[in-house]
Amino acid sequence: MKKEIVHEHITPKATDPSFVEEVKKIRGGENVLDCIQCGVCAGSCHARFAMDHSPMQIIKMTQLGMKRPVLESSTIWLCASCYSCATRCPRGIDIPALMSGLKNMAMANNVPCAIETKPKFHKAFVEILRKYGRMHEPQLQVKLINKTNPKELFHNASLGLRLWKKGKVKLQPSKLENSAPIAAIFENALKEEEHK
Amino acid sequence: MKYAYFPGCALHSSAKEYEMSCKAVNTILGVELIEIPNWNCCGSIDAVYAYNPLLSIALSTRNLSLAETMKMDIVTLCSACYFTLSRANKILREDAGLKGKIDRVINDAELKYAGEVKVRHYLDVLANDVGFDRIAGHVKVPLKGLKVAPYYGCLLVRPPKISNFDDPEHPTSMDRLITALQAQSVNYPDKTSCCGASLAITDESVMLEMTRHLLLNAKEAEADCIVTPCPMCHFNLDAKQKDIESHFDIKIDLPILYITQLIGLAFGIDTKELGLHRNVVSPNKVLEKLKKASQAAIKT
Repeated sequence: MKKEIVHEHITPKATDPSFVEEVKKIRGGENVLDCIQCGVCAGSCHARFAMDHSPMQIIKMTQLGMKRPVLESSTIWLCASCYSCATRCPRGIDIPALMSGLKNMAMANNVPCAIETKPKFHKAFVEILRKYGRMHEPQLQVKLINKTNPKELFHNASLGLRLWKKGKVKLQPSKLENSAPIAAIFENALKEEEHK
Repeated sequence: MKYAYFPGCALHSSAKEYEMSCKAVNTILGVELIEIPNWNCCGSIDAVYAYNPLLSIALSTRNLSLAETMKMDIVTLCSACYFTLSRANKILREDAGLKGKIDRVINDAELKYAGEVKVRHYLDVLANDVGFDRIAGHVKVPLKGLKVAPYYGCLLVRPPKISNFDDPEHPTSMDRLITALQAQSVNYPDKTSCCGASLAITDESVMLEMTRHLLLNAKEAEADCIVTPCPMCHFNLDAKQKDIESHFDIKIDLPILYITQLIGLAFGIDTKELGLHRNVVSPNKVLEKLKKASQAAIKT
């Protein structure tokens, strides 16, 4: 699963100098050029073992303009937003926010995702909120489950049953008394694009 | 002590026992949590934020402005909601351009946020408004001999630009709470590690690996249970513990209690009222140990 950064990626044709300018516009990316490659983010990351590149590598690759490899990496999707890295970053880079921004960019550019369910997850989450204003986890699970995989179905059914026995599954979604404000917020927010 | 209570989605479904036990404890401590009417999802750490940051911040802002009309600070029991609402608050204060956009987005909801509300986690209220001395004064059943691993998790105490009621690397508020209840807080270097909650649905195997360490290290420290102040962490540690056992073919069987359940036990509140029957991993081992300790105390 782990990919090493190979030198052939870093050629003029493979890099896009406008990428770093794009990244500087997103929250968490403003000071991406301040990174001194100290490695504290990579050393602090609790999900590093599952990532193809470390957060430090992602930042260097961003500085170099390696747009495709950054947006195709699993790293941006495996950041758990735990803020160990940003708490320690001596240059004050908000790395989890940067990762969220890179995800946003990958989704907006329809970049093939290293983890297939990820973009579906974000879309499904937002759809449910648009409908109810609050999360309804059973629906989220159902939307994302791979219905053709018996092992996965069994696994989810076993968790569902375990939760059901403890009264932790709420079949009816919790709703707002008045859902009009939520509908308005969704409509307005989708119209306005956040560009600083 | 009155606060605008933001439950968040989990507290009304999978984490109901956290809310139940919190209510029971609050009655004794004189803390009043008044639920924000018609609240919506906090805006999520990343699920909505990565999809559309403006939408996430707008959802947070609606909750902030509802609390502002109540003229109270927000208290939440969930570390993720605590972070998300606080993040929006900080961004709105620092970025006037974005604040203008957000005002337009929530305008149709007939709300305007002036930026006066503070967002606080319940543990912060216990530590700094109620005080551990007062909590210690209400202890009826000292938890003597009980070894507890305090699991703070990630977003409760960091990043320090957002959470500043405890140390981001070496927090102690929960340790002090455990001591106030006369239980013993074990050496737990994983106290601020991440359980991987935000990966639970899409990358389960990664999350299982992250949570496995937390559980095994608490066992190694000979803890009788882990306590947590977050419904997301609790779900991974408790409801998913069986998945970790079968995935790695190991036995863990470690009870996971909410801070309010632990306080409730020390206050002598009925276990039903604390919702302990709703915990997936049976807390019976903890209850038996406490029962034996109290019987021994009566004899001597």
